[in-house]
Amino acid sequence: FMMAADPARAWSDEQLKGEEIPKRELITFIQENAAHSFLSEHKLLGNIKNVAKTAKKEQLIEAYNQLFESKRFKGTEVDAVTEQVQAAKISDAPKEIKTEPVDEGPPKFTKTILKKGDKTNFPKKGDTVSCWYTGTLEDGTVFDSNIPATAKKKKQTKPLSFKVGLGRVIRGWDEGLLVMSKGETARLEIEAEWAYGRKGVPDSKIPPNAKLIFEVELVSID
Amino acid sequence: MALEQLCDVVQRCQAIKDEGFSPEDYDLFFTAGRTCLEQGNSAQVLSILVDEKNKNIVRCMGWNLLGPLVQILLKKEDKNLPHCHAILSHLLEICSPKELLVGLLEQVEEADTGSIAETVTLLLKPLQTVLLRLGMKKASSVGMALSTLLSQVARLPVPVTKEQEEDDVFGLCHCCTALLQFVKPFVEEVKEGVKDNNRISKDNELRVELLKFCMKSLSKPLLEVQLKDPDTLLKSPLRDFATEILIILSSIGESLPDLLSRNVLKRREVPGFLEEEVRYPKESLACLSHLLFVDHIAVDIFPAVLSPIFVLQCNMEYIELLLSRTEESHLLKGLVLYEKSLIRVEDNSLPVDLLELKTFFSVPQNLVKVMTLCPDQTLRTKGLKVFQLSIDKFNTEAKYKFFKGMLKTSHHAGVEGYIIKNIKNQIDFSLKPCNGNDWFLGKHLLPLLRLVLCLPHGPETDLLQNLDRIMESLNLLRYMLIRDKEWENETGIWTELYKIEDNYLKPLRTGLNMSKAHYEAELKSAKENKKISSKDSKASVCTVTVDNEKLPNMTPEMQIQVLQSAVFTFDLIESVLTRIEEIIETKERPLS
Repeated sequence: FMMAADPARAWSDEQLKGEEIPKRELITFIQENAAHSFLSEHKLLGNIKNVAKTAKKEQLIEAYNQLFESKRFKGTEVDAVTEQVQAAKISDAPKEIKTEPVDEGPPKFTKTILKKGDKTNFPKKGDTVSCWYTGTLEDGTVFDSNIPATAKKKKQTKPLSFKVGLGRVIRGWDEGLLVMSKGETARLEIEAEWAYGRKGVPDSKIPPNAKLIFEVELVSID
Repeated sequence: MALEQLCDVVQRCQAIKDEGFSPEDYDLFFTAGRTCLEQGNSAQVLSILVDEKNKNIVRCMGWNLLGPLVQILLKKEDKNLPHCHAILSHLLEICSPKELLVGLLEQVEEADTGSIAETVTLLLKPLQTVLLRLGMKKASSVGMALSTLLSQVARLPVPVTKEQEEDDVFGLCHCCTALLQFVKPFVEEVKEGVKDNNRISKDNELRVELLKFCMKSLSKPLLEVQLKDPDTLLKSPLRDFATEILIILSSIGESLPDLLSRNVLKRREVPGFLEEEVRYPKESLACLSHLLFVDHIAVDIFPAVLSPIFVLQCNMEYIELLLSRTEESHLLKGLVLYEKSLIRVEDNSLPVDLLELKTFFSVPQNLVKVMTLCPDQTLRTKGLKVFQLSIDKFNTEAKYKFFKGMLKTSHHAGVEGYIIKNIKNQIDFSLKPCNGNDWFLGKHLLPLLRLVLCLPHGPETDLLQNLDRIMESLNLLRYMLIRDKEWENETGIWTELYKIEDNYLKPLRTGLNMSKAHYEAELKSAKENKKISSKDSKASVCTVTVDNEKLPNMTPEMQIQVLQSAVFTFDLIESVLTRIEEIIETKERPLS
């Protein structure tokens, strides 16, 4: 193994016990630096969000201290993650399937701010966002809206809520909303590739290769 | 005389204080009243009932007359109708709502199939009146009423053709339309609460009863109905009913996208988890999905921004449910829903991790059952079409994993043959410039080929039964040997060839020779037997009975035909096999 220098303590006891350091930061540090078996024993394996839900702050502080006492850092033990363990993980549990391709390249949408938001609160992946919106085609045809005033047949009185950044909506929305702040109203012009692509939406107003224009108001972030 | 008896009992009861009527009083009132009504004296009965002096009596005993009253109203004899309607209105006003409810629902429940539509139509407005009188306590009664009504309406035959829907002989359309009118005030009440910044909680009783009603409607009758599009039938009460149910769901605070994604996103630790399952039956949600994505119902209240892959993921749960049914109408709905969900997705775009989800494997298994076992030929054909469509949407790695899984689990020669043909197409695609990939070329291809180029039972494999599979695999091999030049060996087939010869080609050749010899011998003896037995009828060696009917014995001619066609089949296999052997020999012969 490559003998790297042991990681250093970043936080003192007072800092840990205080309010400064969020659980998630603590978990991230431990996950990044501790050996697999250490994490497993302290039940710190897995998705950070889930760990944050189940582990108390006291537990995390204890684990953090134990890590430095025992020096069971990554690379100090043989991490025996065998194929069987990997295979056993595949279960019925609902999965967030990442559907974004790993391509790099310029973003396929543009954002114009129509009304400024608070410029401080931006949604993170997995947050629930609520918005009012109107969607039009380039020729001005409105193909969708949830605003009661605009849409005549609307029976809805609540903004659209969904978890952002997880591939549940078209990519232009996932990416666009992540750079909007709470209260902001923006105009998102999304190219077909990050909307409905070559197919469009059959049997609907959205034709193939359609660029979509949305006026979106980000009402809240949870 | 009944009328006299009625007057008597009423007069006597007027004197009784504090409504201390005896059971006999109730009985007499009921029997006399009923007889009067049945004899056509409704006008007199009306005047007795509206008399102020009799108010208490009517309040306690009046509702018992609902039964006979409703029967008369259903008969629709003009003479008595106005008075009977007036009696009904009066009772609805005076008597206790709970008792009226019981009486009215009893009538609905007891209606025989022939009179369900009429009874429901007659009693909806009275029921609504009674329920509205219950004020804040109405929720459970509304629920009870809706449940009873829907159970009866669901028994009505569903129209199949557009003409049947227009004629509405059994009254289903009429009842559905009437039901919508019936629920309106209750929906409005909940709607107000929902709008008012969620003054109403998710568990509000009335809201929950309306939710149950919508869910039940989605299951029966809506899942059984084949909706006609506006081009076929401009005015469709059933389409309007479906639309309104979705709008009601939305109005009472159920987000349609959330309903759709329930099964995909639910967390198992939700308290009262079982309750949740009951509130949102999967079958109802399957119908909801079909209405949205196939019938395009209520599209304008459904957001257009959902990602197509996410929608597919959600719908797979419902497709799985529908495709595991036996009713052909449900199978068809499942197939079309699958098709519509797939066409929104770009070809080659579904990632491999989708295959880790249970439904992405169970649905193809169900599809295979439809393709191979369904008695209806159009469904089998459609099943195959959708099967191929689903394959086309997977990306390369996912296709690979899918083919591997299917070859391991399908145990059906026809399906295996189809998969092998797809593998050949993928190899062909991968060999084209710029299409190279790790899955259908290079190191991953060979393990896949080993699953293709093998005999399930060695030399004893039944070649006739496995014909589809064998032919496709031989075609695949032949294609690869011709297309992939030996000195390029992009697929690795040439280095693997000696193993293929040992494990596949040689046992196949052996089996083929054995089978051919055997069948040719059988054929020869059958022909000889035919010559002998043409003079006298020979008793057959065995008989076959299906469903208590004996199948006609195989005549010698038929037997010969069958054997002959078996021999032809072997010739077919042999021709490809020989060609392959030739190719190998030519390549292996040193150039001199």
